[in-house]
Amino acid sequence: MSKARTYTYFPGCMIPYRLPHFELSMREVLKKLEVELETSSDHSCCPEPTTFTGVDFEAWVTIAARNVAVSEATGNETVAMCSGCFHTLAVANHMVHEDPELKERINKRLKKSGLEVSGEHAVKNLLHVLHNDIGIEAIAKQVTNPLKQLKIAPHYGCHLVRPLEATNMDSAENPQWMDEIIKATGAEVAEFEDKMACCGAPIMPGDEQKALTITSKHLKHIKASGADAIVVLCPTCYTQMETQQGKVEAIAETEFNIPVLSLGELLALSMGLTEIVTDNQRRYHRVKITELLVKAGVGGA
Amino acid sequence: MVTNDTNLNFRNWLLDQPEGKTLLRCYQCGRCTSACPVADIEPAFNPRLFLQKIILSDELIAEEQLVWNCLTCEQCEVRCPEHVKIPHILILAKVRGLMKGNVPPAALDRARNILSIGRSLEVSAPMLKTREKMGLPDLGTPPMEKIVEMLADIGIVGNLEKVESVYGGSKDE
Amino acid sequence: MAKNAVVIGAGLAGIQISQQLTDLGVTVHLIEKEAIIGGLSTYLGRVFPTGDCALCLDASNEMYDGHHRKCEYRGLVTEKKNLKLYTQAEVKSITEAEGGFKVSIKLEPRHVKLDRCVVCLECIDVCDVEVPDEYAVRGGTRKAIYRPIPQGVPHAPLIDMEHCTKCGKCADVCKVNAIDFEEKKSSKTINADAVIIATGVEEKIPLEFPGYEYRTSDDIISHAELARLIDPAGDTKGVVTTSTGDNVSKVTMILCVGSRDKTAFEYCSQACCTYSLKHAEMLRDLGIDVTICYMDIRVPNASVHYLANSIEKGVKFLRGKPDKVVVRNGKPVTIVEDTQSQKLMQIESDLVVLASPLAPWGPNSDPVSEFLGEYGFARRVVKEGKVYACGTATGPADIPTSIAEANAVALRVYSDLMEVSK
Repeated sequence: MSKARTYTYFPGCMIPYRLPHFELSMREVLKKLEVELETSSDHSCCPEPTTFTGVDFEAWVTIAARNVAVSEATGNETVAMCSGCFHTLAVANHMVHEDPELKERINKRLKKSGLEVSGEHAVKNLLHVLHNDIGIEAIAKQVTNPLKQLKIAPHYGCHLVRPLEATNMDSAENPQWMDEIIKATGAEVAEFEDKMACCGAPIMPGDEQKALTITSKHLKHIKASGADAIVVLCPTCYTQMETQQGKVEAIAETEFNIPVLSLGELLALSMGLTEIVTDNQRRYHRVKITELLVKAGVGGA
Repeated sequence: MVTNDTNLNFRNWLLDQPEGKTLLRCYQCGRCTSACPVADIEPAFNPRLFLQKIILSDELIAEEQLVWNCLTCEQCEVRCPEHVKIPHILILAKVRGLMKGNVPPAALDRARNILSIGRSLEVSAPMLKTREKMGLPDLGTPPMEKIVEMLADIGIVGNLEKVESVYGGSKDE
Repeated sequence: MAKNAVVIGAGLAGIQISQQLTDLGVTVHLIEKEAIIGGLSTYLGRVFPTGDCALCLDASNEMYDGHHRKCEYRGLVTEKKNLKLYTQAEVKSITEAEGGFKVSIKLEPRHVKLDRCVVCLECIDVCDVEVPDEYAVRGGTRKAIYRPIPQGVPHAPLIDMEHCTKCGKCADVCKVNAIDFEEKKSSKTINADAVIIATGVEEKIPLEFPGYEYRTSDDIISHAELARLIDPAGDTKGVVTTSTGDNVSKVTMILCVGSRDKTAFEYCSQACCTYSLKHAEMLRDLGIDVTICYMDIRVPNASVHYLANSIEKGVKFLRGKPDKVVVRNGKPVTIVEDTQSQKLMQIESDLVVLASPLAPWGPNSDPVSEFLGEYGFARRVVKEGKVYACGTATGPADIPTSIAEANAVALRVYSDLMEVSK
């Protein structure tokens, strides 16, 4: 008899307000796995780590620590679905833990709001929750439609995994938890060159050409592995590799036609929650997933 | 002479920032440069050389556009034998160069959004409706007055009002 | 009353300290886990420039002022009455007792009697079994009855019972009845007044160390393997070949692969700059191009000639630590920034040689690990009057340093045992 687990869900900005199908699919999957999510309207933008850090680092870490403090006050562990948000909260939490002067400065600023950050909070991403807390066995039990025909390339992305001392993931070079979750859905894991290669998104503001060149290299490696689709957790990686796939193809002078799914969508397909994916495919998947759905054994929509 | 900053002001400031001290562990082996995916496609992007300039307190690096070509992927940091926090040090160089205008316009847009509406992007009414239709909960709005007030001693809000990117006007995303 | 010492490990330092202590009248029990003594030096074969084993070369010059070289290997076993050598022996326990120690060892059977074998080697000729040779790099084989290296001491062969078919041909041809298939494992307890740890180091290929792809290609090798390729007594007869059997014309050496690295071994492995330069020079003499990718070059005064000779013979030096070696079209390509020209290079070669960390062997032994400290190395005097260490068991070092250290520790052990200062 398992007890429902409750986490405070840190939503961020991109998933709820750009790619809500990430949230929708994952919420339904978590419901099946007896996980409850609570939210707080006191949470703000994490703040996003790729550019705001370079605008003002002290402001960034203060706002981030404030978000951690808001979570701490709920009494639950925090789970962030977006890799960027996870990275921001985990790094701020870790820095507060390691740097007593920083902690003091931040708590001084938080005092007026009645908030306090301890540096001891459990900041988690979906892999911590799915792989460690829920466990592969429990996930496999909910798989009613094993995706035996699919070969899936796991794209962890940089901010989910690094820096290891803050993220508490398994490995900075060769993480395995998403691989294991993919296997639990019945699908095969595609092995491709340079597993932890960056998607390129962070330098779209700095130099779009370079960013897309880096993305094209990564997509070429994944394509060469024969993967049917890429699975991601990060909405920014998704935007770069999926929404912008046309731009990447232009730079690479080649067609990729590789669908990208969020992990929630992959799990949903394997757990008989097909409509969640098919209902939203036209709106959020520029690269058509109709063939993929057929291969997944759930037919086209 | 490499730098006019004979008092090492820039370097000392950086060493004082959270996790800035790892800079001095660097012994210029160059593994970061051979690990870097940007260095692979751009010869002028050389993490080791950037670190060298920062170690020598060459403040011009803070105005260098190339620092905004760093992916913050941390591949260099993961491979560095001394675990120098390289992307973080480049971030600090960016911070130092903000008021000189060395910042992409998109970064300024996002920062201004974050400090005015508490989100990195505009939240449109149709999007809120979509959430409702999906059965997703209303996430409310964060207490912006309190957040801005909390940052008073940092002065970021004032800075953002004054600063202009040397790379042109703001871009839509 | 004669004092007894147990020396654990018959590498160069273990042999040297045993030599010194027996000369001083101490009875030494020298315990060696392999079938032959010599430790890491057994991989080195011929040592530049005279082709002798390193101990003869470096120690002899210091000890014998250039006259009449004394081979430490051969002198040891045959001449010393107060030195008892146990090969294929491992320490099971070290317990304090009666002011000293009881050291219990277990011995694997050699199956060839050392007091009878005359090293005619006809047994090896007639053996039909061929298995991969542990010392070979390019697929060389050995017999089930074999000698690990030609100059190994004890000289007698041993039988690898895992692969021996017990056909009896070797026993039939042996004219001195030295072969004993039935020899069993045995144990022995030694009463010792002092224990000396000389367990040395191993060249540890950092298999999980990212970037260098040791597992991916047989053309990415360690220095022990390179030494075997260069050795005329090795399985390639001294011809340096690629994994596909082609001649090598270009070699890239990478220094500090896992040493001086917070991700792997934090300390400097001390000897690799020197032996990399030694190998580079040997390769140049074979007409092979060599590029050394380095962060620093650390060569002690006694070995400065290796650096000077390398430069003179046209070894290329590139200051930069490569991030990775990738394999393209079957050839290893080293990706490295030349920090002196700020250029990112892609250097293709036939072989890549990794200077890997020297990791202490001591922690592999439970009884020995009691006495180890930081990084798994021991202090020279672990417990005054009782436990000591010398050689690379105290920290990575080159051969001259290890020998000098062994001499110094020998004197300390002796004076403690004889209570000279009391």
